[in-house]
Amino acid sequence: MNSEILEKIKEECRKLPDDVSYIVGFVRKQGEPREILRVLRPGEIDRLSYSPLSSSNPSRIVMDLAKSGKVAVIAKGCDVRTLKQLEKEEKIKRERVYIIGVSCPGVIDYRKFRNAVKFRLSEIESVELVGDDVIVKANGNEQRIPFNELIFENCLYCEQPTPKDCDVLIGEPREGRTDFSDIEEFEKLDREERWKYWMDVFSKCIRCHACREVCPICYCEECLVDPSNLAVSPMTPAEEKAAYPRVLGKTVSASDNMVYHLMRVLHHAGRCAGCGECERACPMELPLLKLERKLKKVVYEVFNYSPDEEIPFLSKLDILPEV
Amino acid sequence: MKVYNGNFLKDVVAKLLEDGYRVYAPVREKNYHVFKIVESVDEVSFDYVNTKKSPKDVTFPQNEVLIKYGDWVEEIPARVDKTAIVGIRPCDIQGLKLMDSVFLEDITDPYYEAKRKNLLVVGYACNEAGDYCFCTSVGLSPFRSDYADILVTDLGEKQVVEILSEKGKIIASELNLSDASEEDISRKRELERKVLSSFVRSVNTENLKERMAQAFNSDYWKEVAMNCVSCGACTYLCPTCFCFDIFDDGELKGVRVRTWDSCQFPLHTLESSSHNPRREKWQRLRNRFYDKFYYMLVRKGEFYCVGCGRCIAACPVGIDIADVISNIPSEVKQ
Repeated sequence: MNSEILEKIKEECRKLPDDVSYIVGFVRKQGEPREILRVLRPGEIDRLSYSPLSSSNPSRIVMDLAKSGKVAVIAKGCDVRTLKQLEKEEKIKRERVYIIGVSCPGVIDYRKFRNAVKFRLSEIESVELVGDDVIVKANGNEQRIPFNELIFENCLYCEQPTPKDCDVLIGEPREGRTDFSDIEEFEKLDREERWKYWMDVFSKCIRCHACREVCPICYCEECLVDPSNLAVSPMTPAEEKAAYPRVLGKTVSASDNMVYHLMRVLHHAGRCAGCGECERACPMELPLLKLERKLKKVVYEVFNYSPDEEIPFLSKLDILPEV
Repeated sequence: MKVYNGNFLKDVVAKLLEDGYRVYAPVREKNYHVFKIVESVDEVSFDYVNTKKSPKDVTFPQNEVLIKYGDWVEEIPARVDKTAIVGIRPCDIQGLKLMDSVFLEDITDPYYEAKRKNLLVVGYACNEAGDYCFCTSVGLSPFRSDYADILVTDLGEKQVVEILSEKGKIIASELNLSDASEEDISRKRELERKVLSSFVRSVNTENLKERMAQAFNSDYWKEVAMNCVSCGACTYLCPTCFCFDIFDDGELKGVRVRTWDSCQFPLHTLESSSHNPRREKWQRLRNRFYDKFYYMLVRKGEFYCVGCGRCIAACPVGIDIADVISNIPSEVKQ
C-alpha cells in the first residue's frame, strides 16, 4: 500500500542527518492526482506525497542542488541507477546525496490512467496500489483497475526495481530482469516496415526538446543536435560563433527529426538508466524508449556492457582488446 | 439560427472538398486528435474534447520557406488557395483572433495574411469541459464565438448552425438548413448550462494587472521555475504563441526559412554581443506568464491565453498556468 510507503518516507525524512538542506520528493499537484517533484526544506515533510503516479526521475534536480548542499532524495530503482551514472560521470558526489530508496513495483502511465478512470481528475481523492489492483477513490465511490492495465510499459522490462545503492531502503527488495522481447519482436519487421514506422513517428515530432530537457543524462550545455544552443561567452569572437558546426537547423520534418532523435539517443549508449522520462515528457506521445532500448540491447550484445558496471561505457571501450 | 438534420460537420467537409477547398479537420492519431489536411470525409473524427496541438499551424506553419537563393533569388509566393478549417473549438477561434491581431495589425505579415484571407472557419461548440479547460476564466465561452464564419452546436441527431459571416452564408446555402425552432434553441441553452457547470478549473484574474506589476521581482518565479526544464512543449502547443525565427539554411545555395521559436529556449534572447537578458530559466518561465497575462494585455487589451489547457496537460513537470497565475502573491516578499 502506498500510504504505508508514504508514512515510512516521512518517518525517514524526520530522521535525516543534520547536514541535509533539501529534500527532493513528490508533492500532489493541485486539482489532480498527478505527483510532481518538489524541492522541500526539512521543515516541510508533511507536504510529501507518494503513489504509483510518482513517476518522475528526481536526478536532474538533485544534480543541480547537490552543488550547493546536501540533498535527500526519494528514489526508485531507475532513479538510483541514474544517480549512479551521474556519479560515474562526476556530476554528483555521492556524499552530497542521502538516498531514501523505494522498492518499486512499477509506475502508472498517466495517459492510460486518464483513459481508464471514470472520474473527473479533480474529484479523485486517492490512488492506491493494493495487491494487483489500483484503487481510485472519489466522491465516496471507488474504482478498481488492474495494475497491469495501467502500468507504464517500460516498467515491464525493469532491470532494477530496487535501488542498488541507498542509505535506507523502504519496501521488500524485488527481482529485476533483462528482457528485450519487445525489441526482438520489433526487429522481426523487415527494413521497409521499420523505416515506415519510424518515419511516421518522426513526422509527428514538433522538436520542443522536452525529451532532451527532461533527460537527466542529457546535461550538456552544448548540444550537437541543437547547434543554435552552443554556449557563447562575452569572450567568444564572432568568427568562432560563425564557425560553429550546424548539424541540424530548426526546420521540422520527418528526416530532420530523425537526425535529431538518432543523434540524441546515440549519446546515451551505455548510459541510459531506462527511467522513461523522455517518453512521458513527449507531448506527441512518441515511443522514444524503443530507440533507447534497442541501443541498450546492442550495447549488451555487441560490447557485453551493462550500465551498472563501475567503469563508464566509453572508457571500457578504450581497454577492450583489439579484435 | 438554423438547424441541420444529420451530421453537419461531416457533410460540410464533403461539400468543401467537392468545392476544391484545402480542408483541415480533426483526425484521430493513436491516442489523440490533431488537425490535418484531409482528402476524404472518412479520415475525419469529431469525437474529441480538443486536439493535441492547436491549429495555429494552419495560418502560421512550423516551417515556412520564404525565399530560395543561390546565384539568384526566388521568392516563394504565399499560398492563396481556398482553405477551410472544420471543427475548431471556440478557444482556438479566439487564438486565431489573437494571432490576427499580431500578424495583421500595425505591420501586416503577407504570408500570414494570404493564408488568413482565404480561410473559412467552421467552429464547433464544446459538449463538455475537459479536465484542463478554463476558457470561462479568460472571458470566453465554450458556446459562443463571433469570430468564426459558422458555429455548430451538436444536439445529437441534429445540429444548431449559426451563420456568422458572408463567407459562411455561401457555404451554408449549399447545405439543406432550416430555421431553428423554439425547442432547438432551448435545447441548446440547456446544453450550454450543463457544459458551463462542468468546468472545474479557473484562474483568479482579480486585480491581475496590479498583482503582476508588483510581483515581477518576486522570488515566486524562481520557486515556480524550480523544476521547469526549459523545453518548448508549452509554447509549441499554445494557440497564441507566435514567436518565430528566420534563418538561411545553406551557405551559397539554400532557402530562407521561418520556423517557430520559443521564449523558453536560451538562445531566443541571445544577442550578438553575447549578452542574454533572459539567461536564467526562471526569467524565461516568467516571461511566458507575463506575455500571456500582462504585456499583451497592456499592448492589445486582451489576455493572450485562451484557457485551452494544452500546456497544463503537456508539461512534463506539472507546471500549471491556472495555478501559477492564481497564486501570484499580492504582497511581494523581496
